[in-house]
Amino acid sequence: MTLDRNILDEAAAWAVRTSEPGFEDWPGFTDWLERAPEHAAAYDHVMLAVEDGAAMLEADPANDIDEAGPVLWRRWFAPAFAACLALVAAVWVWQANDAASVYRTVPGETRQIALGDGSVIVMAGDTELIVDPDRDRYARLERGRALFEIRHDDLNPFRVDVGRATLVDAGTVFDVSIRRSEVGVGVSEGAVIYNPAKQNARIEPGQILTFDKASAAYDLADIPLDQVGEWREGRLTFLGSPLSDVAADIAQASGIDYRASETSGERPISGSIAIEPLRADPASLGPLLGVTVERRGETWILASR
Amino acid sequence: MTDNPDDGLQAVFLANRQSLLRFLVARGAGDDAEDILQDVWLRIARKPPGPVGAPMPYLYRAANMVMIDRYRSARQSATREQEWTEATSGPVPGISDSPSVERLIAGQQLARKVEHALAEFPERAVRVFRRSRIDGIAQRAIAEEFGISISTVEGDLRSIYRVLAELRERLDEE
Repeated sequence: MTLDRNILDEAAAWAVRTSEPGFEDWPGFTDWLERAPEHAAAYDHVMLAVEDGAAMLEADPANDIDEAGPVLWRRWFAPAFAACLALVAAVWVWQANDAASVYRTVPGETRQIALGDGSVIVMAGDTELIVDPDRDRYARLERGRALFEIRHDDLNPFRVDVGRATLVDAGTVFDVSIRRSEVGVGVSEGAVIYNPAKQNARIEPGQILTFDKASAAYDLADIPLDQVGEWREGRLTFLGSPLSDVAADIAQASGIDYRASETSGERPISGSIAIEPLRADPASLGPLLGVTVERRGETWILASR
Repeated sequence: MTDNPDDGLQAVFLANRQSLLRFLVARGAGDDAEDILQDVWLRIARKPPGPVGAPMPYLYRAANMVMIDRYRSARQSATREQEWTEATSGPVPGISDSPSVERLIAGQQLARKVEHALAEFPERAVRVFRRSRIDGIAQRAIAEEFGISISTVEGDLRSIYRVLAELRERLDEE
């Protein structure tokens, strides 16, 4: 099994995070695992390599033959034993650690990232964004939502990776939102190209492109310009969206744990919601969207009637 | 909450069964997800943890550990099979070469290789790794101890994790 280098990077990052006792973002981890079947295997591989590597380091502190050594190395290397002697002489090259910075927000938080070229990325709540200082004009949205205000450069377009999809700016303000199974890209200025190498779909101002995470199939629709990135002003507008997406978006923006009831009907939801008043009265969402709101501890369960 | 401290955890478990199942499926449990989830709960019920501050992360973590255990035992049984094959079809048929001097020396040298790989890292990164994985200190506490940011700690760990994973992958492939 040869693991993809990017997947191995991501798996290592998740292995670090999930190993921390206070780690809480298991839903985010689930999303990552669901993004590709290879992710789980890569994660297991990293977790075991690290566990055994640490055990070996502990048992064998750079001195002579000891009891634990052979047992531990056999756990590691027995499947590969035939090649062991040859490998001792093999040249070991490791790639320099990439200096990527990971930015994260908690639900209800927003955060502004200023890039060296004058571009600005505004992160919504519950969002993870990776910026690599060695690669300007590039960002990767791992999770959540962000508004990109990109200083355009024809010769050096800005690129945003979302899962396996790539967005390239053509002079731009655009909003990217990762949902459970879909990603939405709304443009308010300039234009964005979705997957230039494949679909090569151009998103103009006042349009929102929605693509399926798994199949990459997309759909273009109109969106009022002022609704692109409106979450920055503390407002969210829905037009015929599934309740699960509505709950996730509002939870992300408000930090209030809204969830869609599993038994809720399929009726699409429309409405425009100001976030701030919800903080004082989470149940007030019900009449605004025409749904029932039931409190369970710290969680607010939404169900359409 | 009632008198029984487990009731709280159990209520959370029941209310979030679907999320946990989804996690297990994503984690590669496939058709076994339901059985594994039950196994997770039985383990907790057998050895109640006492009051748990954050029940959902606790349950997710327990499920994750079960999956790692499964992966480890699947690997080990594959290893045993291969060792048996090697022992019975080695250079001299029927004679196991397991305690041979070459084999022992190879293992020692490979252990060196792990150390060698880690020696390529800045000393701080290796110390962070040891504190985290050998001493079991939380990343936040390590950050304080070293006077560095938590993302620096994460970065150090990530790069070492990555190298150990690659080393192991290389050896698996040979």
